[in-house]
Amino acid sequence: MSSPVKKEQLQEVDRSLYDFKDAVHPSYETDAGLTPEIVEQISREKGDPAWMRDFRLKSLEIYNKLSVPDWGPPLDGLNMKDIVTYVRPDTPMRGKWSEVPKDIKNTFERLGIPEAERKSLAGVGAQYDSEVVYHNVRKEVAEQGVVYTDMESALKGDYADMVRDRFMKLVPPTDHKFAALHGAVWSGGSFVYVPPKVSVEIPLQSYFRLNAPGAGQFEHTLIIVDKGAYLHFIEGCSAPKYNIANLHAGCVELYVAEGARLRYSTIENWSKNMYNLNTKRALVEKDGIMEWVSGSFGSHTSYLYPMTILKGENSRMEFTGITFAGQGQQLDTGAKVVHAAPHTSSHINTKSISKDGGECTYRSAVTIQKNAVESKSSVSCESLMLDSRSRSDTIPAMDIRNDDSDVGHEAKIGRISDDAVFYLMSRGISEEDARAMIVSGFAEPIAKELPVEYAVEMNNLIKLEMDNKL
Amino acid sequence: MEQQLKNINTLPALTWNWLDVNCASFLAQRPQQVKPVQMAPEFAEIETGMGAQAADFAAQYCTDCHVVDVPENTEDKEEKTFQYVLSAEKPVVDVNLIHARKGSKVTVLESYTAGDDTPCFHGGLTKILADEGAQVRLVQVQLLSGNSRHFNDVGIKLGDNAHVEVVQAELGAARAFSGCLVLLAGYRSSFNADTVYFGDEKRKLDLNYIARHTGRKTNSEMHAAGALLGQSDKVYRGTIDFIRGAAGSVGHEAEETLLFSPQARNRTVPLILCSEENVDGQHAATIGRINEARLFYLKSRGLTEAQAKQLIIEAQFAPVIGKVSDTALQAAVKDYLGRRMQLD
Repeated sequence: MSSPVKKEQLQEVDRSLYDFKDAVHPSYETDAGLTPEIVEQISREKGDPAWMRDFRLKSLEIYNKLSVPDWGPPLDGLNMKDIVTYVRPDTPMRGKWSEVPKDIKNTFERLGIPEAERKSLAGVGAQYDSEVVYHNVRKEVAEQGVVYTDMESALKGDYADMVRDRFMKLVPPTDHKFAALHGAVWSGGSFVYVPPKVSVEIPLQSYFRLNAPGAGQFEHTLIIVDKGAYLHFIEGCSAPKYNIANLHAGCVELYVAEGARLRYSTIENWSKNMYNLNTKRALVEKDGIMEWVSGSFGSHTSYLYPMTILKGENSRMEFTGITFAGQGQQLDTGAKVVHAAPHTSSHINTKSISKDGGECTYRSAVTIQKNAVESKSSVSCESLMLDSRSRSDTIPAMDIRNDDSDVGHEAKIGRISDDAVFYLMSRGISEEDARAMIVSGFAEPIAKELPVEYAVEMNNLIKLEMDNKL
Repeated sequence: MEQQLKNINTLPALTWNWLDVNCASFLAQRPQQVKPVQMAPEFAEIETGMGAQAADFAAQYCTDCHVVDVPENTEDKEEKTFQYVLSAEKPVVDVNLIHARKGSKVTVLESYTAGDDTPCFHGGLTKILADEGAQVRLVQVQLLSGNSRHFNDVGIKLGDNAHVEVVQAELGAARAFSGCLVLLAGYRSSFNADTVYFGDEKRKLDLNYIARHTGRKTNSEMHAAGALLGQSDKVYRGTIDFIRGAAGSVGHEAEETLLFSPQARNRTVPLILCSEENVDGQHAATIGRINEARLFYLKSRGLTEAQAKQLIIEAQFAPVIGKVSDTALQAAVKDYLGRRMQLD
């Protein structure tokens, strides 16, 4: 049986890993709220090209016209009048950790980012509040022609036309209210371009840290993996807990060219005062492969459904996701896929765990268009409920528009099997440990898809949540 | 006079509006000669699958009302049969209230056919109250002409150890809307639903089934199977809803749809909603083309492709059609399907 001391230590260690906060001393921040003046201020401060300024103002107009979604978890606690949409840290972007201000550097060191960069990453971008404060890519990767930079630099540099051609074309501001918000106030984020036939053997990673209370983070990630290339991109994010609402409305646009492959891994561990209204979308050309690995643990409320458009013949996608909702959390997650070409295939495999009053919703949409003949889709979602104060819903939808495709869907909701607990207890394992083992085993198929450091982090998070139950 | 029924067949938990599956609307026809129904409180409180608008319409514009009240511990050996042959001149709105009292057993058959190909209108409301240990079997067959409109709204409440079985064949009508909500309130109460549907030409089918478990150790099984031809368009919503306290309950749901036309559209939305830990809920959906190996085998035995397809559809429907005890009606179903498949 776990000792009380061990439990206490686990809680202390893991909470401090994310919940520490720095003193807030931005070099510039807008007033709270959302007005054309604030949007213009952001545009001016960032030195946007004219088209981007116009784009932001148009997005704001759209935002004001669109309604808050009427189908998901409530967003009553989120008031845009209280959210500061732009907080610039007191440092320019650096290419060496040694040049990053001490307190910010310490933050990322505690999160393990510089260490991970040394050990296992080909490049790192680190965003603190609204701006990227550190960006670096290994020389040998840069020499392959791989471009990995912050969005602001990309917007004005050699790849400006490429950015302009693609920016919010996959996720237009008209898509939903928070996409429009993103279009109006976005800042920070990463731009990656992988040239044809280049394989980036070790992953790139962007880490997003929101420190300021009552602020929003709206980073934009644009990745283009050109013909026959390969990239594994990792996204991490966290924030300390405050007693006021924070907002994350990032946007990820991924372009997978003919014969290319992109793996996009995320562990989202936002603090439990965060409204996480993130939008991710990928467009996959002929023979391309899109792989999503997604872990959703933190936030007060999440709306997160990475979407894949299988545009090219024979393209395919895999989505592997896990969601863990504890006390006070409403995590509405899942995936969307549109089969828009012949011989496309998709496979969605998700798991969710809810406990202590947490609410998990699995929501998905599989659309097979008329021309997507001989396409295949399989969806499997499993939910585990650890107590009856919690809630777990599955809300999938399938829309099939031709007679030459196959779609299968399976879903299962249940509890930890008493027989399994009894069996483990009969082998001398305490009931608490037996339950924790079963939960870890349930999550294992997802964990094995994550890079090893993230798998460890995920297991720690599950262990922490399970110990909290005791 | 026509009346638009809005927000019917509403999904118990909404999803993205762009999918256009959250609810539906239906153009109902008000009959001339009506006999409004005042329901006793125990029936009035029973919710239905299509929702209050459809139920209220049926009660207000009822043309035919039947009350089946089965006394305690009685088995009604004879099937209660309500058969309607519709015509364009005489729309039917029937309300059927079935009270199976403690320990009783009854089977009710409702069928709707059309004498010719003229457009007809049918609206139906059936409410079932199954007291402790009661067993009710409801068989509904709809074979209206391909230019008719039809809605079928069902609400069921189950007491301890009560069991209700619903068998539905939604095979006709240009617009066929059907909803069924069962409240599994009693300890160890159980519910079975077997539905078959058929869409061809430009038919629109809209189905909504909800099994709401509030009692302990309750059990629901919902199966649907169908075939879509031509430019037909079908939405199937199936929800298993475990309310807190329904400990030890089990809910299973499965749907199998065969698509026979590149113009047909199938939408399936199978939900499990769960606020109780100690339950087992599962759903499965299979949507797609006809099994090529089966088709090849049948063709190699000398059948044309059309005959082979017809045989496969009949085989898919057979387990449900076999539950229609009226042999004449069974034959009518086979004849109807045969004609429709030839037409297509």
